[in-house]
Amino acid sequence: MRKLFTNLFGAVLLLLLFINASFAQQIIKGKLTDASSGETLIGVSVLVKGTTTGTQTDVNGTFSITAPANATLVFTYVGYNTEQVAVGNQTTIDVKLVLAATQLAQVVVVGYGTQRRRDVTGAVASVNGDQLAKQPVQTPTQALQGKVAGVQVLSSGQPNSAPILRIRGTGSVLGGANPLYVVDGVLTDDIRNINNSDILTLDVLKDASAAIYGVRGANGVVIITTKKGKNGPAVVSYDANVGYREVANQIKLADRGQYVAYLNDANPGRIAADDKAPLTIPGSTDWAKAVSRTAFTTNHNISVAGGSERNTYFLSANYLDDQGVIKTNGFQRFTFRANNDVNITNKLKFSEQLSLSRGAEQAVNIGGIYGNVYRAAPIIASVDGNGKYGNTSAWGNVGNPLLQLDKANNFTLNNRIQGNVALDYKPVSSLTLHSAFNTDIRYNNQKNYLYQFNADGNTFTVGGGNQRQANSSLFVQNDDSYQYTWDNTITFDKTFGQHHLTVLGGIVTEKGKSNFLNGTRQDVPANKDQWFLSLGNPDVASISNNGGGLFTRQSFVGRINYGYAGKYLLSGSLRRDGSSKFSERYGNFYTVGAGWVISEESFLKDSNIFDQLKLRASYGKLGNDNIDQSLFIVTATSNVPYYFNNGQLNLGSVIQDIKNTNLKWETTDQLDIGLDFAFLNNRLTGEADYYNKKVQNALTLVTLPGILGDPDNRYVTNAASYSNKGVEFALRWNDKISDKLTYYVGANISYNKNNVIGLNGGQTLFAGGANSRTITRTDNGQPIGSYYVLQATGVFQTQAEAAAAPTNTFEANKIGGLKYADINSDGRIDANDRVYAGSYQPKYYGGFNLGLSYNNVDLSADFTGNWGNKIYNGKKNIRGSSNDNIESAYANSRFTTANPSNTNPNVITESTPPSTYFIESGAYLRLNNLTLGYTIPAVLLKRANISRLRVYVTSQNLFILKRYSGSSPELFNTNILESGIDATNYPVTRTLAFGVNLQF
Amino acid sequence: MKNIYQKQLTIIAACAMVLTVTLAACKRYLDVSPQGQITQDQIALDPNAAKNLVTGIYNVFYIGGFDPDIDSFQFVIMTDIASDDADKGSSPNDYGDALQIDNLQTSASNGVVNNVWTGHYQGVARANQALDKLQNAQFDAVTKNALIGEARFLRAYFYFNLVRLYGGVPLIDALPLASEANQDKYQTRATADDIYKFIVSDLDFAVANLPDKGATDVGRATKSAAQSLEAKVYLYLKNYQKAYELSQAVIAGGKYSLVKDYSLIWRQNAVNGDGGNNNSESLFEIQAGINKDCSAGINLYTVSQGPRAGGKYGWSDLGFGFNNPTSSLVNEYEAGDVRKNGTIIFINSTNGTPPPSTINPNPGTTSSGTVLFDGFRIPSQDSVQNSRYSYKAYHSRTAEANCGGNTDRLPKQVRILRYADVLLINAEAAFQLGNIGVATTDLNLVRTRAGLQNVTATLPAIWHERRVELAMEHDRFFDLVRQDAVQPGRAAAAFAAHGKTWKATAALFPIPQTQIDLSNGRLKQNPGY
Repeated sequence: MRKLFTNLFGAVLLLLLFINASFAQQIIKGKLTDASSGETLIGVSVLVKGTTTGTQTDVNGTFSITAPANATLVFTYVGYNTEQVAVGNQTTIDVKLVLAATQLAQVVVVGYGTQRRRDVTGAVASVNGDQLAKQPVQTPTQALQGKVAGVQVLSSGQPNSAPILRIRGTGSVLGGANPLYVVDGVLTDDIRNINNSDILTLDVLKDASAAIYGVRGANGVVIITTKKGKNGPAVVSYDANVGYREVANQIKLADRGQYVAYLNDANPGRIAADDKAPLTIPGSTDWAKAVSRTAFTTNHNISVAGGSERNTYFLSANYLDDQGVIKTNGFQRFTFRANNDVNITNKLKFSEQLSLSRGAEQAVNIGGIYGNVYRAAPIIASVDGNGKYGNTSAWGNVGNPLLQLDKANNFTLNNRIQGNVALDYKPVSSLTLHSAFNTDIRYNNQKNYLYQFNADGNTFTVGGGNQRQANSSLFVQNDDSYQYTWDNTITFDKTFGQHHLTVLGGIVTEKGKSNFLNGTRQDVPANKDQWFLSLGNPDVASISNNGGGLFTRQSFVGRINYGYAGKYLLSGSLRRDGSSKFSERYGNFYTVGAGWVISEESFLKDSNIFDQLKLRASYGKLGNDNIDQSLFIVTATSNVPYYFNNGQLNLGSVIQDIKNTNLKWETTDQLDIGLDFAFLNNRLTGEADYYNKKVQNALTLVTLPGILGDPDNRYVTNAASYSNKGVEFALRWNDKISDKLTYYVGANISYNKNNVIGLNGGQTLFAGGANSRTITRTDNGQPIGSYYVLQATGVFQTQAEAAAAPTNTFEANKIGGLKYADINSDGRIDANDRVYAGSYQPKYYGGFNLGLSYNNVDLSADFTGNWGNKIYNGKKNIRGSSNDNIESAYANSRFTTANPSNTNPNVITESTPPSTYFIESGAYLRLNNLTLGYTIPAVLLKRANISRLRVYVTSQNLFILKRYSGSSPELFNTNILESGIDATNYPVTRTLAFGVNLQF
Repeated sequence: MKNIYQKQLTIIAACAMVLTVTLAACKRYLDVSPQGQITQDQIALDPNAAKNLVTGIYNVFYIGGFDPDIDSFQFVIMTDIASDDADKGSSPNDYGDALQIDNLQTSASNGVVNNVWTGHYQGVARANQALDKLQNAQFDAVTKNALIGEARFLRAYFYFNLVRLYGGVPLIDALPLASEANQDKYQTRATADDIYKFIVSDLDFAVANLPDKGATDVGRATKSAAQSLEAKVYLYLKNYQKAYELSQAVIAGGKYSLVKDYSLIWRQNAVNGDGGNNNSESLFEIQAGINKDCSAGINLYTVSQGPRAGGKYGWSDLGFGFNNPTSSLVNEYEAGDVRKNGTIIFINSTNGTPPPSTINPNPGTTSSGTVLFDGFRIPSQDSVQNSRYSYKAYHSRTAEANCGGNTDRLPKQVRILRYADVLLINAEAAFQLGNIGVATTDLNLVRTRAGLQNVTATLPAIWHERRVELAMEHDRFFDLVRQDAVQPGRAAAAFAAHGKTWKATAALFPIPQTQIDLSNGRLKQNPGY
């Protein structure tokens, strides 16, 4: 051994001498720093091009190397663009490395570990926290809109509503189609407690690599990692914005003139008989205006980060106030965070990440109120100068929505503690033992008070009608839940020559428990300080504590990653999951992946075309157990009352809910083939993916025939199978034109085809609609929740034409009425004439992002949009009575003898069946965010000890291009089967905010 | 180097141990019981469970409103509003599905038709559940058979409604698993004959095993109730001999008698021992009560039929205003028939100007109106949507039990079977058997109570009596269809007098389209739909 070494050493020496003899050598020194922050870079590789001569920068970022004058030095550093400098006659070469814009250089979080992006074989997208924090929104997922290929985000304008996320299409109807969120190891479905400014990175596992989360990975996984401190002096940051929100694109409703004209057709005689003061007013009420407002929004964030070799810290506090655009609605949140790492010894590290949040929500019954805004008669006052309300229900209309708002107070406090403590032990450098205890504790308190009011002259301008609250009532609910996950993993990571091997093994134990207690009493005093149950009438009270949840899971995880020479990558993972939610307890979930870094091959390496070219593929099986616990256990309802012997209470019991006792989780098989590329010195980067996802044993709420006697005539079973196939592209160009001007352009587009493969003996699902007329149908060969309605073919122009048409079993044919196609040609228009008419799921969706930085000015714009989907205008179709109001545009275009429209019927009533008339295009392009910032030059700030000060103005949802006639084509509807029916959505909002970023 | 290996070995050993311990401890870690719910298995261990399940069947009567329905608002639509006794009422355009039924233009997608279907099958399922658990229940034979008898009586009642509404329906006599529900056996219609045979076998058992009035809790099914219901079933089957025997057994039993004051039959409280809940005339009625969460009454039964202010204003009304007695019904009453004012709330069409009072703060806009038995005054026509309402569905907010301000489940006890019905069944059966004397006696018992002169029994006289005696009691539509089968043309004539056009196919309602869809078309539609 020693002999061999000596020989080798001698040979190298000889070689060096030889080289030395060939060129004039000189010593070159220099320092490497980060181009943007000026931070010194330690460990940068410095290589004389074409040789093996090289060194690394030291702790001061400096290096010293000997090289000939005609040589070129190559500086490479993980995460930065490679720089090449010709030596010439320089003896000092200071280099500023630019952070690689490409994500290829990043480290990504893949679940129970991290990987260098270049080693990843799956489809994993990453977004930096600063991208999320710059938008004035509550949750990071809202800020994700249009940013990541394959990820569709739908958010509501309602404060504190959790956005809907669909990763690569809708893969479940009942099992929950939202992804799993992992926040610092805590597995959750709700991240509304997270302060966006605390987020370091957000990683999205889109493909089968999510199988490391087994039975919860089928809808993809969003992993959020919060910030940690860095070795160095304390950095204090203060970020704040203040702004306002308003209703965007409110649809104009009919005014008095239009309404009166309409009602004369819809309810003849009504106006003449009853349009009299004091019930009605001579002018018009704009009900949307009556219940909405310009809302105030603000967000303050302060953080301190720093540390030493031994320990680092990151501490933050945040206050968010988000008023709703509907009066009285609003949400306020405080969050605190403390993330600490302590190196107890060189081998043992203790860390904790802890977040406390307290939210206060003033909720409104948006379904009722905004639904009524669309229907309330404009000839009734909202409220008069004396505080008396207009009596819409006495008019035979809906309740007065403003009164509904004013006579209810629904307040909820949310408290949440989320975080983990972890120990990492590294006995040797290649081995890490990790044990983390993650917990999520929630405590909520809700008080919902309904004020007493009568349908009389004290409340209304005129008494009467049925809108009243005969007795005040107070509902109080306390609920709490806790959940823990205990991760124990061993990771082995070692490089043997050209081989790199990482092996992970572990056990994860999880338990969750929830409980609630609520009570209601009537006649509690109206004074807010007396809103306690004991102050109500004890004779009219109820208490409910009918069970909470309890679930357990136990899992074994394993993963192997192998790489050869950075060119050939193989990976595999296996998770064996046990879930208490199913009678068949255990299931195995896995993924296998392979990658080929073509750009590392010799035939491409020197071609200088590609900075990176990687082909990757993965295949795996994932699960979804996201349903209520004990759905498979047949239970009895006890204590149902009945009376015998004239008033003697008897408590009976009932077994009536039909259950599938062999319920299983849903399984998803997913194939992904992708290509990652970077050209032109990493200026153009991108990726393309093809995927094929197949969900089997999908849990679905199957409608049961009435003969089984199930109270809601449905049960949960594994019946359906769905597929999502698609293609994703993401491209990004970034360039630096001069020191002063840099810019980037990014775009992503995803194509997804959703299809119900089979219902496998289950029943077709019908959903949506009113008066037991369904709007959607989920059946073989169609996308989930496809519209299935009559085909409207125009409007009857004459009574003779109406009389000659096939019999309409929904409403009588008449002039001005809608014509429908008699699909089965039986001479009758009935439920058998329905046709498929598209679905809400977009064929294409995506976004593009632009950014420009010139001197101290920065500008960015994020667009998002989709194409190829349809919307059902339920606000138009679903009528409560013939006195309901209509949209102004419809009022102007509807059929009248003076305006014989062939598209818009004369009236729309409760009897008007669902038809293609109500289906519209859902395509849109929206400017999600526009931000203009100005950074105050550093020289001006030096005296104040400020290291950075930026001011900006930002706008959310500045404009939208759409074809839909309703206010927004982005519908926030958590019911998957009805997601495209626009019925009771919270109004879409537009935000304008001013902000500041300050750093000491 | 060696040292490192040793260390690694130690660690691996330690890890293996942790793993083993965790595994052993967690063997039952995944066995989690449902929280706050009682499982089917636990029910089986409870000696009172089977009895509680029978009580649970009765509880199904409380469902209804706009949801699955047995004896509530939507059943009222399909029986009263569908007939010539009542119009839909309320505001003209309110509730299109009810209007369809009122106009004999019911479509298969009508929601009412579906809710009544599913509601009745909920009742059937509860009865089948109880019967299933009763098989293994540890009671003495008499108690056990009495409980089985109750369950079978109730099941027979549900099927009797179903067969009269829809004709032959799927015959569910056990507990099919959800996975079996798709079998042809459950997804196709049995014939009406088979359903009637099934009803008869259930009622035969009930008659043989139920204790009679006085030997069981008030409100439970009794032997007499089973006999009366079976007599009625046989009347529909035109088996007059059986109908006569069974109704005669009830009459001969002497346990029931007519309430003296007709209007008191529907009061909660007896007046001088006459009438009230569970009165001397009541063979079977739905029991109700006041509990803390106001869940012990039939949902929306009373409030849906209550007088409505509608577009008029000036008072807090009593309900939605549905089910208005027709002029055809009003005209059916003979002069001096006390039942007219016992059945119908007439809205006063004259406007007057009474002095102001606490009840009437706005004189000038109201007249003396209509004062009900409890003193409640309904304003006159200019403040009320419709002109007639059902008095039998009325429940006083002041003089009778109430559950706070919650009017959805007012504890109105709906009378399902009463002695006057039994007398008229007996009369008709006797008449058909040629025993005019018995028929005349029965008939005149009912007429005397109504303040009318005696007549000799004829078929039209008995049918006239049935109509006015049982008006607004959810019997008329069925009865008219039955009479039409005995004497074709009756229904057409009755509907013509009511201003509607009868067609033979209207005798049965459509099978709900939803249910046909769910059977993948195996449930076949009735003719005419």
